[in-house]
Amino acid sequence: MTAAVTRNGASASPRGSLRLRLLSGTLVWIAASIVVAGWGLSNLFHRHVEAQFYAELQTHLDQLTANLTLDARGLPVLALPLSDPRLSRPYSGCYWQIDRIDKDNHEDNRNAAAGIGLLRSRSLWDHVLTVPPDTPADGELHRHRVTGPDGGMLGVIERSVRIDDTPDGKPLTFRLIAAADERQMSEPVSRFSGALWLALGALGAGLVIAAMVQVFVGLAPLQKLRAALGKVRSGEMQRLDGEFPAEIMPLVAEFNTVLAQNAEVVERARTQAGNLAHALKTPLSVLFNAAQSTDTQDRELSGLVIDQVGIARRQVDYHLARAQAAASARIPGTRTPVFPIIEGLERTMRHIHADRQLILTAMPASTSLSFRGEAQDLQEMLGNLLDNACKWASHRVEISTCSENDQLRIVVDDDGAGLAVEQRDAVIRRGARADEQVPGSGLGLAIVDDLVGLYGGQIVLADSPLGGLRSVLVLPLAR
Amino acid sequence: MRILIVEDEPTLQAQLADGLGAAGYAVDAAGNGVDAHYLGDTEPYDAVILDLGLPQMDGITVLKKWRSTGRTMPVLILTARDGWHEKVAGIDAGADDYLTKPFHMEELLARLRALIRRAGGHASAELICGPLTLDTRNNRATVDGQALTLTSHEYRVLAYLMHHRDEVVSRSDLIEHIYAQDFDRDSNTVEVFIARLRKKLPPGLIETVRGLGYRLSAPQ
Repeated sequence: MTAAVTRNGASASPRGSLRLRLLSGTLVWIAASIVVAGWGLSNLFHRHVEAQFYAELQTHLDQLTANLTLDARGLPVLALPLSDPRLSRPYSGCYWQIDRIDKDNHEDNRNAAAGIGLLRSRSLWDHVLTVPPDTPADGELHRHRVTGPDGGMLGVIERSVRIDDTPDGKPLTFRLIAAADERQMSEPVSRFSGALWLALGALGAGLVIAAMVQVFVGLAPLQKLRAALGKVRSGEMQRLDGEFPAEIMPLVAEFNTVLAQNAEVVERARTQAGNLAHALKTPLSVLFNAAQSTDTQDRELSGLVIDQVGIARRQVDYHLARAQAAASARIPGTRTPVFPIIEGLERTMRHIHADRQLILTAMPASTSLSFRGEAQDLQEMLGNLLDNACKWASHRVEISTCSENDQLRIVVDDDGAGLAVEQRDAVIRRGARADEQVPGSGLGLAIVDDLVGLYGGQIVLADSPLGGLRSVLVLPLAR
Repeated sequence: MRILIVEDEPTLQAQLADGLGAAGYAVDAAGNGVDAHYLGDTEPYDAVILDLGLPQMDGITVLKKWRSTGRTMPVLILTARDGWHEKVAGIDAGADDYLTKPFHMEELLARLRALIRRAGGHASAELICGPLTLDTRNNRATVDGQALTLTSHEYRVLAYLMHHRDEVVSRSDLIEHIYAQDFDRDSNTVEVFIARLRKKLPPGLIETVRGLGYRLSAPQ
């Protein structure tokens, strides 16, 4: 059985179950073959029993024919009784009877009736078999069905025997009848059928169980594949690992190639963005410095250049950050341990803000947590938050990390002046700056907000227990 | 104070050299990683301004090589790439501070002063030795509040001595830190500068240590 290939593989609703498909095919096949086998076997057995039944009747008839003689008065008698004891036991189910069917008596009904049941087996007791009038040609065997002494149907065979050697010299024709209860035939057949259907039922049940086991075992690698894909999605694994059957292996290999290509594309995009930044910003620096230098004659022009270079720089920063971020959130299978990132940023902050003599504390108990995403993006988000905290703090900055409701929470606290509630939204918006006096483009939080959005996370600004601002990053947690 | 500028863009390199020169520093410049590494490895700079995107050898590699051979001068990284991962990578490679392009020359100078000051173990931007005060932010020296008028070379000599207060500074040390590499050096000019400074400063501040060099210290 081959599975049909759906052209639009990405369509949302699944087109039936592979398991159901395999199972239903097998089940139909099993049911059909069991019905056919059962019908065929019971039919065969029935025919065999029937043949035996009539063979026995014929034996009786042959014996009857051989032993038939006429007495001195011309009445039929048996030279020897028939051997089968059932023929002597009343209503045993095996019977015989001899009728006389002389041609010259045909029109004389009374005489004809007188000829019926002329000689009968003891088993018939006082019953006379009424067999439809019939005159088989010499040597022919005819079959009939008649009602027996106990009301059951009897299977009957008859033959006619003509005796020429009679005392009065007139030839006589007798009809020899052997009969047996059809139950002798139907009972073994029904017994056999019962046993047969029972056996076939057991066989069918066994086959169904075997088929189900086969389907489940056969499809188990798909479950494993799904589990592996889940791990890639959750960031637990970078690629699909593990042993898969030969039929699935090409799929796994293709998928891994796609993953690798994705990562490569992102890396290339990042490098290009970096190169573009370099290519743009160096000339911007040159322009900026030229405009700033004190010997510039045209104050108005230099002011214009400084303003425009500032705007250009912000635009470049913003769009480069976005371009770099846009690529990364879509790579599945990336996970970044949080603690090394915090440590790296902590070292960096200590250098960059060395003059501020801050007490920078990263709370421990966060060593095992991982972020489901790119290291660079986490550095970007956390770096901006920490940098802001370090710029605004009076003495202390604290970072703590925890997992909550299957999400990663990174909290940055400072003891600075804080931020009024109504300003908090504004600083997250693009380009807004709460205070132009503190260096920094003011884009930091806007970029953080963009990145957080790409990861489906959240950034929350609140009052810090240290007295300043608390920034909370809520991000996907890698399991 | 002698500074190495590593920047491959010639105009920006020239602007930096002008800006730093005007701020009283002796300036050398390199336009590629290999030259930069050689200069930083052989010359005694007081600070380095290092661009990361360099031909031949990138800035991070240059920095790592310096640090692995025990060169400890403060390094300010100057780059167009302002991602935090680059800042972390730069700091972890041994940089002391980080500035992204385009930048304000004032900010660069402020960061540079802070780096040099911290490298000498000074916490404040004002260096004080007895009645003498040197404000590194505006290159002003005052004695008891009276401003001194100094030429740029006199300022460099004084600034170097102030940064190494109470230490014996050899004449060759002074030469290496007040002149750029391609400058025509003459050891006798150091004596001239010292003599001129002694005239402008209260007596006894600069002491000659025979056969070793000079020492700036507050009078007992």
